[in-house]
Amino acid sequence: MKYMFSSYQPKNSFDEYFKDNVNSAREILIPLLSSLDNMGIKELNRNHSAAKKLLLRHGATFRLNDTGLKGTERILPFDPLPRIISKDDWVTLEKGLKQRLEAIDLFLDDIYNSQKIINDGIIPRELIESSEGWRPQMIGFKPPLNKWCQISGLDLIRDRNGDWHVLEDNLRCPSGVAYFLENRLVMKNIFPNLFSGRIVKPIDEYPSYLLKTLQELAVWTDTPKIVLLTPGIFNSAYFEHSYLAQEMGIQLVQGHDLVCNDDYVYLKTTSGLKRVDVIYRRIDDDFLDPQNFRKDSCLGVSGLLDAFKSGHVALANAPGTGIADDKMIYSFVPKMIKYYLDEEIIIKNVETYICHYQKDRQYVLENLSKLVVKSVAEAGGYGMLIGPHSTTSEIEEFAKKIKKNPRNFIAQPTLELSTVPSLCDGELYPCHVDLRPYILRGKDSWVSPGGLTRVALKKGSLVVNSSQGGGCKDTWVVGK
Amino acid sequence: MLLSRVAESLYWINRYLERAENISRFVEVSEAMSLDCPPGSAEPWLPLIDASSDRESFDKRFPEKKPNDVINFLIRDRLNPNSIISCIQMARENARQIRDVMTTEMWEQINILYWNMQEGEAIWNKPRQEQLSEIRRECQLFYGITDATLSKDLAWRFSILGRLIERADKTSRILDVKYYLLLPSLDELGGVLDELQWIALLRSAGAYQMFRKAVQNSIKPNSVARFLLLDPIFPRSVRYCLEGISNTLKMIDSSPPPENPTELECMRGLLKAKWSYIRIEDIINDGLHEAIDSLQMDLNKLNDLIQEKYFIN
Repeated sequence: MKYMFSSYQPKNSFDEYFKDNVNSAREILIPLLSSLDNMGIKELNRNHSAAKKLLLRHGATFRLNDTGLKGTERILPFDPLPRIISKDDWVTLEKGLKQRLEAIDLFLDDIYNSQKIINDGIIPRELIESSEGWRPQMIGFKPPLNKWCQISGLDLIRDRNGDWHVLEDNLRCPSGVAYFLENRLVMKNIFPNLFSGRIVKPIDEYPSYLLKTLQELAVWTDTPKIVLLTPGIFNSAYFEHSYLAQEMGIQLVQGHDLVCNDDYVYLKTTSGLKRVDVIYRRIDDDFLDPQNFRKDSCLGVSGLLDAFKSGHVALANAPGTGIADDKMIYSFVPKMIKYYLDEEIIIKNVETYICHYQKDRQYVLENLSKLVVKSVAEAGGYGMLIGPHSTTSEIEEFAKKIKKNPRNFIAQPTLELSTVPSLCDGELYPCHVDLRPYILRGKDSWVSPGGLTRVALKKGSLVVNSSQGGGCKDTWVVGK
Repeated sequence: MLLSRVAESLYWINRYLERAENISRFVEVSEAMSLDCPPGSAEPWLPLIDASSDRESFDKRFPEKKPNDVINFLIRDRLNPNSIISCIQMARENARQIRDVMTTEMWEQINILYWNMQEGEAIWNKPRQEQLSEIRRECQLFYGITDATLSKDLAWRFSILGRLIERADKTSRILDVKYYLLLPSLDELGGVLDELQWIALLRSAGAYQMFRKAVQNSIKPNSVARFLLLDPIFPRSVRYCLEGISNTLKMIDSSPPPENPTELECMRGLLKAKWSYIRIEDIINDGLHEAIDSLQMDLNKLNDLIQEKYFIN
């Protein structure tokens, strides 16, 4: 039989299947490689189309634009070759993620209350108060359980040596978890043979933990009414919103299904108004409450923030958490961990230059062609410059932007993200990946085993975001 | 407990699918009739457009009024909000909004139906009768899945309500097609052609066998009209639907009836009583078309009252 990978060429970056060439597979991959060989590339491709059809049937789609009913609906490109993470690696990552979130939650509580970290000179006040995620409305507030981030999804990458780093903290409404769950379902359905010979850590408990996490926020009742608040079907993550609501058996609501009276929140039902205790909101702070945030928002509920602050309803995540996923505040997380927990950081940050600082800015401007520059408040791969892949005029344009508003930019060295073999036009090709594990924090913390592996399915591309043509893979945490 | 928005979506999903199903019945009946029509006799195509009250927009867009224009207008025209493809798209949009309330199997069925209707899908290469019966089967599969997987709670009742209102309306319209068709050539009434057309009509209403079973006699216009409008046990008859609507509304509103009945309460009761206790001879004497017309207006009114009471708050 022809070896499936015989014409596969790993890149210079760290390949998660092979040490340097196709004859030296990593030990943990061996059972999978032999199952893949048994299947053969033809059948792999055939099953791949079946997998795509299944995703379409399930409705695992997102809309590319907001042009209304005619908006193009697509499935997130799905790659059938799983990414494998060893249990040993995972134990460390899990610990590192919990540590990071613990520190971030203490940081949020601190800056909206006693502000010790500012007063002790660890983080300058101006950087906090100039962040787009800063919500002065939350000053003096203590959320239920004193936790601000119930649901977060952090982006991790492996560098050239295979070392893990945190690339971004997503602490507002991180998306992708439905694809993470759906991918596993599709793999089990279409590629059951690939699972043979090993135990892949199951991930199905996610909705149960999410529900439990949300229930625990309603400290005032044993029978909380929980809803998921979505902006509606035109939101690109709408599939996920309805998927999660259904998996948890809670109601999916839009802003106009809710109404606030005397600092309580109610659902409009066919039999009148019914009280709501917990809202898992998938609407950004800005649009949550036109009375307290953006006046022109018609997605949110007027008075919601007051209801939250008076302790009659819980919101997950609390408004104001965006301050901690500002890409500049990110660079202070190692210091937060030291300051609040007196520990060393377990999963390292990526080296980050802060354009706000004169010295860093000068370095960045002189080395733009080598660096990745990111706007601190944007997500989804927007507002980025990838130096080595950019033209001189693009670089000049970015230099102007940086000089005009230095607080808005950070820069990082160009990282060669690790690669995993993936199907590109029917052939196997090393594609760059990142990993987004999901962390839930109610009374306890829980980390999804593995996470969503996003993959840059265009040959040579480094951008894994779905809005930029990226796809996803199933991710397996496996023991020896 | 049911969100008003969700109740409205469930109601409309069922109306849209029932509508799509019935349009396929309309086209099917006309196609069958046209094959039996001698050249030059009343062609059955334009009455279809009349029966769905879309004549004005059709005439504007298709001045040549060819049979194929009618068929495309009713099946695949995305600009016609009452075409099959538009109905299915609207049903799916509503379903997407409330996926969390439907069962996975319901959602998948409606989603598959939607994707099967897209350009380039295999269904469009099949003969038209096959297309139509496939569409119909897929809609019926949705009702079956709903009834077999959804708990019989408020969500289910609003689904049934939408389905029955649309069905009552469309059964009456199917009968009306024949009325329009006969209008230009009343002299053919009672001929062989006439009987063939009544058979085609019964078939398209899914009523042929049940009619034969109920009426062991030759096919007469009166008995067909009686069967489609007033049969107490045929599930697509107007009377059966109205009794179902009435019962469903009573179960949705669990509170005891007020001394002064609300407008919705009056409408529900009067409609049910009227169609349960009227004789077909009286309907025909007063004008079949007029009776159907007033039924359709009453159903619209009922729709508005339901909307006001349950969907807006």
